[in-house]
Amino acid sequence: MLILDSVDSLLEHIEVVQKDVISLSNDSLLKMSSYIEKNQLEVDEDISTALQYQDIITQQLMATIEAIESMRSSIKRFSHAFESDENLAQDSMKKLQEKLNTTLAEAKDKKNRFSGKTSENEADDEIEFF
Amino acid sequence: MPLVIFVDDSETALASTRMVTNSMPIEVKQYTEAQVALAEIKAGMIPDLIITDLNMPVMNGLEFLQALRDNPSTNRTPTLMLTTETKAELKQQGKALGLTGWIVKPFNPAQLKQAITRVLRLPA
Repeated sequence: MLILDSVDSLLEHIEVVQKDVISLSNDSLLKMSSYIEKNQLEVDEDISTALQYQDIITQQLMATIEAIESMRSSIKRFSHAFESDENLAQDSMKKLQEKLNTTLAEAKDKKNRFSGKTSENEADDEIEFF
Repeated sequence: MPLVIFVDDSETALASTRMVTNSMPIEVKQYTEAQVALAEIKAGMIPDLIITDLNMPVMNGLEFLQALRDNPSTNRTPTLMLTTETKAELKQQGKALGLTGWIVKPFNPAQLKQAITRVLRLPA
């Protein structure tokens, strides 16, 4: 289906952009941390937190990339089923919808899990000892 | 000096912890793969403290912790989890495996320093 090919191309583009952003962000932080270490600069809590946000950004983007890859895979399966037998389209459409809903639920769960203390409803500032 | 090993698949996360430990009287080794750290431990490395991330490919933090507990030289080594995860059930799993503590990212550098000092009983 032509429209699904367009959706797939758009998702592929978003995935590529996100991977590039991760790469640039990693590179940026490593350069900054290298500068800080080389010059033996003291890092206070605010700077440390800002640097650590980069890791959280990466994890969040990776989770959405996984969701995009799952969506693309589901769309391709549907497209293939539709092309081979249009009578199966209705059933395939239902399966596609279920898969996309599952993907969305997993992606939202990962958003919460990978937020750490940046999420307003999560965790206090203390280290928990057992 | 006591040996502290950090395991995190993120190079940037490891860089953030280095900024805290650089000024401490400890030896630090860092690994981006838990299985590599485990192999070195099995080959004879004896860490005094292990600080590990939870979500990692191949071997996650809890699997790593289980492997440490199954290994005679590290079955009682203090271990801290340093992660974005806050779920109580994951903390419970860690606790059941003898985890020493749970630190949520982004960590407070002073608190991480205090935690290492406390676990290793370094002079404050």
